Amino acid sequence: MRQQSAEKPERILVIAYGNPLRCDDGVAWQAAEALRRQFQWAEVVCVHQLTPELAESVSLAETVIFLDAARDGAPGTVHCDVIGPEVREMRFSHHLDPRELLSLCRDLYSARPHAFLISMSGQRFEHGEELSGAALRTIPGVLGEVSAIAKRVAEAAQCRNAESGMPGTSVQQLGR
Amino acid sequence: MAERRTILIDPVTRIEGHSKITLHLDEHGHVEDARFHVTQFRGFEKFCEGRPFAEMPSLMARICGICPVSHLIASAKACDALLAVKIPPTADKLRRIFGMAQVVQSHALSLFHLSSPDLLLGMDADPAKSNLFGVLEKDPQLARDGIALRKFGQQIIERLGGKRIHPAWVVPGGVSDPLTQEDRDAILQAIPDALQIAMRTLEWLKGTMEKFRDEIASFGNFPSLFMGTIKEDGGLTFYDGKLRIVDARGDVVANDLDPARYFEFLGEKVEPWSYLKSAYYKPKGFPDGIYRVGPLARLNVSDRCGTPRADQELAEFHELQRTAVLSSFHYHQARLIEILYCVERLEQLLNDPEILSKHVRALARPNALEGVGAAEAPRGTLFHHYKIDEQGLVRWCNLIIATGQNNLAMNRSVLQVAQHYVKGEKITHGMLNRVEAVIRAYDPCLSCSTHAVGEMALRIQLLSPEGSLLDEIAR
Repeated sequence: MRQQSAEKPERILVIAYGNPLRCDDGVAWQAAEALRRQFQWAEVVCVHQLTPELAESVSLAETVIFLDAARDGAPGTVHCDVIGPEVREMRFSHHLDPRELLSLCRDLYSARPHAFLISMSGQRFEHGEELSGAALRTIPGVLGEVSAIAKRVAEAAQCRNAESGMPGTSVQQLGR
Repeated sequence: MAERRTILIDPVTRIEGHSKITLHLDEHGHVEDARFHVTQFRGFEKFCEGRPFAEMPSLMARICGICPVSHLIASAKACDALLAVKIPPTADKLRRIFGMAQVVQSHALSLFHLSSPDLLLGMDADPAKSNLFGVLEKDPQLARDGIALRKFGQQIIERLGGKRIHPAWVVPGGVSDPLTQEDRDAILQAIPDALQIAMRTLEWLKGTMEKFRDEIASFGNFPSLFMGTIKEDGGLTFYDGKLRIVDARGDVVANDLDPARYFEFLGEKVEPWSYLKSAYYKPKGFPDGIYRVGPLARLNVSDRCGTPRADQELAEFHELQRTAVLSSFHYHQARLIEILYCVERLEQLLNDPEILSKHVRALARPNALEGVGAAEAPRGTLFHHYKIDEQGLVRWCNLIIATGQNNLAMNRSVLQVAQHYVKGEKITHGMLNRVEAVIRAYDPCLSCSTHAVGEMALRIQLLSPEGSLLDEIAR
């Protein structure tokens, strides 16, 4: 069943990243497909890695949700964290951590969207396009997390509208 | 008694792919030899054997995430030769647009993301700051420009090819889909900003040159041959033409060379210490046939660009030296001039009345059993050479990648820089960063011959011949 329009949040960007030719590393791409089907309002992009060029798109979103495969954690589990800008050591060329991308977004475009990192713990990361059963089991959990975030964003927007002139909802308020 | 020592830089940072550099010091602490090792192996040439030839463009695009379009184009051109067809004029122009969009995004990556920290913050800057965030802190406009220019190129690729990485829109006989008016108009709309960025950055770069006189003098500043593709009128091109080779004086050594006959004048030598083959110009032998390809070489062999602003910049570039421009430090400026040319040329091609034509593909069965496709990739001339059987299955494949053609020059450049800057027993970041920076000037794309092995820390060790640790820096 599709998400009801009453729960449609404003400007939520979902960025799924990973390598779909490395088995479970591509689980975010499949989760993104499921998100597209279930939440038609969501702007979903799939990329192999996070690059600086995404900073502009991120800056235009009110909320950004990063979906990534994880090697740690119990296979099949989903973990959602509130994240913010953070500069880490950047030794290599052009790929970034989501926190670094948020830093670029803040410094280049003075934007600080609410941000979440949803990690899906996988089991197999060798060459191949097939997901393990554990990785597939994470997808319903991701849909649940995104739905919950969308609901909170929509509620926060309603609060803002009701109390116009009040400051916007903080990341802490939106977080878990 | 003093000892002979080896310095290992592993991996080389801010380049595409994984490699290491070894510097061999004599007993007086002077660099006597240096080697640039490519430590990865992929073997695309082998596992293509047995595949239907029509699959080759999309298979070849997988070689690299940075320059897939060049492989796609060279591969499709090799397949055109197998079909023995002349592709429709609109398909020809669309492929040129596609290729130049990639040149813009790839050159922007090299200059803004990888090399601008050295150029803006200096070669001796704190390694922790020598990255995009350091640039952002010192010059936010430059950082914004780099991101915008790269995005400009990527969005053209995405609009034409459907996706920005590994698009499969270029096919044997042409392209799979025509350009829509909506996409054409959207790209044209973005051109003025891209042009401004290219011009603004060129002015900035030329203004910084004075600070790098020492690096210009020692960064791969030696006589060599230069090779690139040119149009019939001697103009710069990335898609089609004949090869020209000039010497260090700028005199033409060979002209009108047919890229399809590359094996008659180019040789490749395998060294035991690297997976990257070393190409050389056969008539001069190995290693005297050392030649360079890529932006510096292309501008050295070109008489003109063919667009107004780029022509002006090319004339100024040729004034840098009365001979060919020899210093590899000038790859950076050459790269920006090529970006400028591409943006201007994109506008010309997109305004061509034929560009929206629906006739974009010639269909045929194989009519030849052997085909060569060549194109100018961002880093230099790229050759794809296939042999097929009567069933259209690939039986043999040879790829000559631009980075391999620069291998001899990169090694000689590393030695020159190391001998100039690395002295004594104490390593400094500035010394070794210069050794890495000269490699960055060539913008090697090692991904063309490897798959990544994951995150690696940078560790530089100074070892005695017996293997004992004399000094170490970790980043």
